[in-house]
Amino acid sequence: MNDLAKQIPANKKPGLSGLFRSFLRPGEKKRKKTGTQHRNPFRVMVEKEISDQVRSLRFIILISIIALTTLGSLYTALTNIASAINPNDPAGSFLFLKLYTISDGTLPPYIVYVSFLGPLLGIGLGFDAINQEQSRGTLSRLLAQPIHRDFIINAKFVASLFVISVMFFALAFLVMGIGIISIGIPPTAEEFIRILIFILLSIIYVAFWLNLSIIFSVQFRQPATSALAGLAVWLFFVIFYPMIINLITKAIEPSSAMASAHQAINFDKFRLGLLRLAPNVLFSEATSTLLTPTVRSLGPLTMEQLQGTIPGPLPLGQSIFLIWPHLTALISATVACFVFAYVPFMRKEIRSR
Amino acid sequence: MSFFTKLSRLALLPVAGILMISEILTAQSVTLYTPYTKISVPPGQKIDYSIDVINHSGKRQNVDLLVTGIQKDWTWLLKSGSWNIRQIAILPGEKKKISLSVNVPFKVKKGNYRFNVVAKGFYSLPLNVVVSKQGTYKTEFTSNQANMEGRDNARFTFNAVLKNGTGVKQRYALRSLAPRGWEVVFKPNYKEATSVEIEPNNSVKMTIEIHPRHQVEAGTYKIPVLAETNTTSARLNLEIVITGSYRMELSTPTGLLSTHITAGDEKKVMLLLKNTGSAKLKDVKFSYAAPENWEVTFSPGKVEELDPGRSTEVLTTIKADKKAIAGDYVTKITAKAPEIYSQITYRFSVKTPMLMGWLGILIIVIALGSVYYLFQKYGRR
Repeated sequence: MNDLAKQIPANKKPGLSGLFRSFLRPGEKKRKKTGTQHRNPFRVMVEKEISDQVRSLRFIILISIIALTTLGSLYTALTNIASAINPNDPAGSFLFLKLYTISDGTLPPYIVYVSFLGPLLGIGLGFDAINQEQSRGTLSRLLAQPIHRDFIINAKFVASLFVISVMFFALAFLVMGIGIISIGIPPTAEEFIRILIFILLSIIYVAFWLNLSIIFSVQFRQPATSALAGLAVWLFFVIFYPMIINLITKAIEPSSAMASAHQAINFDKFRLGLLRLAPNVLFSEATSTLLTPTVRSLGPLTMEQLQGTIPGPLPLGQSIFLIWPHLTALISATVACFVFAYVPFMRKEIRSR
Repeated sequence: MSFFTKLSRLALLPVAGILMISEILTAQSVTLYTPYTKISVPPGQKIDYSIDVINHSGKRQNVDLLVTGIQKDWTWLLKSGSWNIRQIAILPGEKKKISLSVNVPFKVKKGNYRFNVVAKGFYSLPLNVVVSKQGTYKTEFTSNQANMEGRDNARFTFNAVLKNGTGVKQRYALRSLAPRGWEVVFKPNYKEATSVEIEPNNSVKMTIEIHPRHQVEAGTYKIPVLAETNTTSARLNLEIVITGSYRMELSTPTGLLSTHITAGDEKKVMLLLKNTGSAKLKDVKFSYAAPENWEVTFSPGKVEELDPGRSTEVLTTIKADKKAIAGDYVTKITAKAPEIYSQITYRFSVKTPMLMGWLGILIIVIALGSVYYLFQKYGRR
């Protein structure tokens, strides 16, 4: 990013108002001056960011880990897919989705890797977004250019999101492609749409962690501190949060002998509600519902609700509907994190060293 | 021969005095004796007489034996030991047993029949046979219960006896003159067969199974069954009374037995009740076995009358439980008349209401709106 300032066209003299106009009205973008083509500065910044990300050793390490684990999980899925075929399985028509969900226990399936390594990827791409520019002194140089201040944070976010999106689409389609080659059954339209939604969901989930780490990169001057803070939050939600919830719910759990069914259900709902404050729980519930169409409910069920039911896969719309609260929460949390990174950044006092 | 004996009897009776005695002495030197001089038998019977031939004279006598005055178609046989005999020699003062078997044919009139056993030149033994009833020369096909009643899907089993009253062995072909579509099965000796062989004067018990035509109307049906050979035949008229059958079918006009329903919402489903039986259905009521907290109402609540072959539509309103989860539920709906019932299983794909979805969209819009607001407030200064 340090040489980003050079990339911004120097012939762009009309100042803020002209640039503002060109940003809002793309038609004016191709305004020719002195024979060279004028480029949108935001786009330039995003492209530069992407090339920085992709070339960084950090990204290469992260993507190799994820690609290797993906291949490992795909291998276990393919070796176990034959045993997953069960003639009485109501979800039998969704064989292809099992590529993403089954495992024999030696290696976790693909969805588990995504929920586990996705946050790491998000934190890894975002933890030094702002504070590195600041510590190198390039931020003030960048801001000296005739661009909006929020272009910087927006470009950082958009570039990382783009990299993540490309990566997840590539990995999921890699699984799909190898799956088609080895099992010889193409996915049905519904399966394909479910996989697409699953990819979008993974991108949103990683975007949440990306935004969270951008918050820390705005707040903390040292990249190491913000990386640690991001990892601490991730570890807290993945490992400590369920422990704490267990501790609390154990203490207030109604005794099984005394509690009525109503109480037991309410307590279970309360416990699940607490657990769902963690984004990783939301993500894993949403993915398992999407990729296992037979999941009909995510909470405790009464016998009254179960009476008269027959096992069968849910239509796609109903599956999405079931995880709609999860989707809402994840999207809202992602946007909220962005807001909490954006506002401090805009108000930040930036001085040249 | 009978003419000769009658003549001799006429000649003998008016003769008097010594002539007569001397005649008797010579004539009576050999006599015939049997205790059963008058026998009553049914037609077709074989009579075995045991006759003693007695020599009263002091010298050996050769006696010619023959039967006279017997009906033409009656067969007879004189035997002694294992021989057919015509003449027998008897020592003085001795007696000899001979046997006479007479076959009374089936085709014989009721009445009194006489014939004589004659020891030629010595004695004539008159024998009397009373045929106790009119003889037949025919086949009899009878059933002690030739009328049965039942539903149209019942299986009627008649017990019948086929008797060969003719004098010869017969092979009977068995067939029925049932209306088209009716199935008649003959089972002589418990095995399905189309023909049966019967010795003379014997009978065979058989069962006749009859399946009525599919969806036969109520009424009385005559099913003649025949046992025939080229010379004789017998007919048995069976009668079956079909009572009305009760059948009905519950379905939907399209045959589709599934629909979508939103949890907590009502759905109207048209049902079709069809009387497929042959009797009128009355008081058909509806009931259901739905999941807990589901409500099903029927309009009309009951069908008063439904003629055979007719159908009627019933509007069913189903209200799903508010707490029903997405996915498939089944509800059993039963139409029940006092005689019969019909049940369908209806499948409901439950959808959850959209309210929460709009709420989620609202939250996302608010979040994105706040970002837009921030862009406007801070970004473009």
